[in-house]
Amino acid sequence: MTRDRILPPLFFLLIWQALSALEWIPSYKLPSPLQIVGGLKELIVVGLPPGHPLHLHLLFSLYRVGMGFALAALVAVPLGLSLGWWRRWRRIVSPLLEVIRPIPPLAWIPIAILWFGIGIQSAAFIIFLGAFFPILLNTVSGVLSINPTLIEAARTLQAKERDIFLKVLWPGAIPSIFVGLRIGMGIGWMTLVAAEFTGVREGYGLGYMIMTARDIQRADEIVAGMLIIGLIGMLIDWVIRIIERRIVRWR
Amino acid sequence: MKKKISILGIVFLLITLGVAIRSSAADLKSVRIGYLQNDIHQLACWVALEKGFYTQEGLEVKVAGIFKAGPELMSAFAAGALDMGYVGIAPATAAVANKAARVVVLAQANSEGSALVIRKDSPAQTLGDLKGKSLAVPGHSTVQDFLLRKAIAKAQLTDQQFSIMVIKPPEMIAALRNKDIEGFIAWEPFPAKAATGDVGRVLSPSREIWPDHPCCVLAADTQFLGSRPEEAKKMVRAHVRATDFINQHPKEIIPIALKYTGMDEKTILQALKNVKYAYALNREAEKEYVHFLSQWKFIKVEDGSAFVTRFVNLQLLNEILKK
Repeated sequence: MTRDRILPPLFFLLIWQALSALEWIPSYKLPSPLQIVGGLKELIVVGLPPGHPLHLHLLFSLYRVGMGFALAALVAVPLGLSLGWWRRWRRIVSPLLEVIRPIPPLAWIPIAILWFGIGIQSAAFIIFLGAFFPILLNTVSGVLSINPTLIEAARTLQAKERDIFLKVLWPGAIPSIFVGLRIGMGIGWMTLVAAEFTGVREGYGLGYMIMTARDIQRADEIVAGMLIIGLIGMLIDWVIRIIERRIVRWR
Repeated sequence: MKKKISILGIVFLLITLGVAIRSSAADLKSVRIGYLQNDIHQLACWVALEKGFYTQEGLEVKVAGIFKAGPELMSAFAAGALDMGYVGIAPATAAVANKAARVVVLAQANSEGSALVIRKDSPAQTLGDLKGKSLAVPGHSTVQDFLLRKAIAKAQLTDQQFSIMVIKPPEMIAALRNKDIEGFIAWEPFPAKAATGDVGRVLSPSREIWPDHPCCVLAADTQFLGSRPEEAKKMVRAHVRATDFINQHPKEIIPIALKYTGMDEKTILQALKNVKYAYALNREAEKEYVHFLSQWKFIKVEDGSAFVTRFVNLQLLNEILKK
């Protein structure tokens, strides 16, 4: 089992390294695995721009995504629960949401800069937009997927609206909410990097770091930065899954 | 069996990737050029296009890309998408030194022509008054990044005393208006636009930071130069004619500058005052770029002089000028 997980990627890396060594893959277009490791080392030790080490880029990016994501979850979950519960409310709000939803978060960048300037607020806003809709839609569908007979049964047992909301709706929707949170975090993370391409005030951020590597044409550092983004994204998803498993124990 | 198939699959994938990356099919007939969006330094390119100098030289020139900043244009060179291009000497140096793109400089497009701009209501009189404030540059390793750091060093200050951030020139004026930044350094006509738009004022034109500093250049892909030297020479000749035209017909170039920058006449007139159009490049100045870029660890070049000898090739230009 472990062999199956390790050998193919290792083989892939070896072939890649060999093709690079033979100059089949020119290093200025796609650096070899060893060059990427070298680039990563420089990002950690020297930093990019020099003096701006990798861990600080990472912290700033996590801070931005944390703010935007938390805001999105705080707004989207209650809104999604209410939209799932009250049909009339859903009919009123849906058209507006359907117009805004297809607009890519990145298309908001120029307007975000105009509204919030360059800084945490505009970055958080872009991430908020990326994370908001997956969380909202999954919450709504979570509520809608609850078997109506459960609600009817609760009503027959004289449960109050408040109890139905807290004891039937909320636990019933939670698995779906977590799916939304995971998708939302993934999209928020992707959006963050692009949001940082337009400029950051503090001089830190993974997207900004990659742009700097592009400015000085260091393909090894660009790919190393991309790998870091991928790994962190994977780690965050893993953490959310652990939290989900703890909260949704009955699944 | 499954394993064999997956290994074969991986090999196939890698080979396809290698072939795809290697084959960037060049259009053999036309010369593919690129220039920077709204950068008035590259007026010679626009004049040559508009006045038909390329066509008169028997060239078929295709604009293969218009870019927001030099590093982006150098990425296009690296991708094999350009044969020749107008670009800042600093990003070209960084790209060649970091072995991303293989280009040589054939002529200069302009010297000077940038400016450090601050908010109109800023009380600052010198760079020292901007300590602790945010200043924007168009990108790391751009000519303007270089000029700002040089100005900071000249004023006996350090980079750490400022918050230097990257904003692309088209967004700089909005950032200045929003008070996101205290100032910016950019190529013309953005400083002039900030002034005529009543948003900013010029604190120091780049000639005060470094008199007669080289800025944009005409660069060629080495493979193109090696395989089609006659066309490269014609491109340089068209460039020389266009540069002479700019200096001899100051009124006729204005509509061209207006067309390519989309800016107003007042801005263009003000911007042009700040730019020198000359094709002879000062090699010593290029050595200074190499030295500073190495010092900031953006590039690693052991022998600066040898690098400049390879990077700057004025042979074609000199042949044309002799005639």
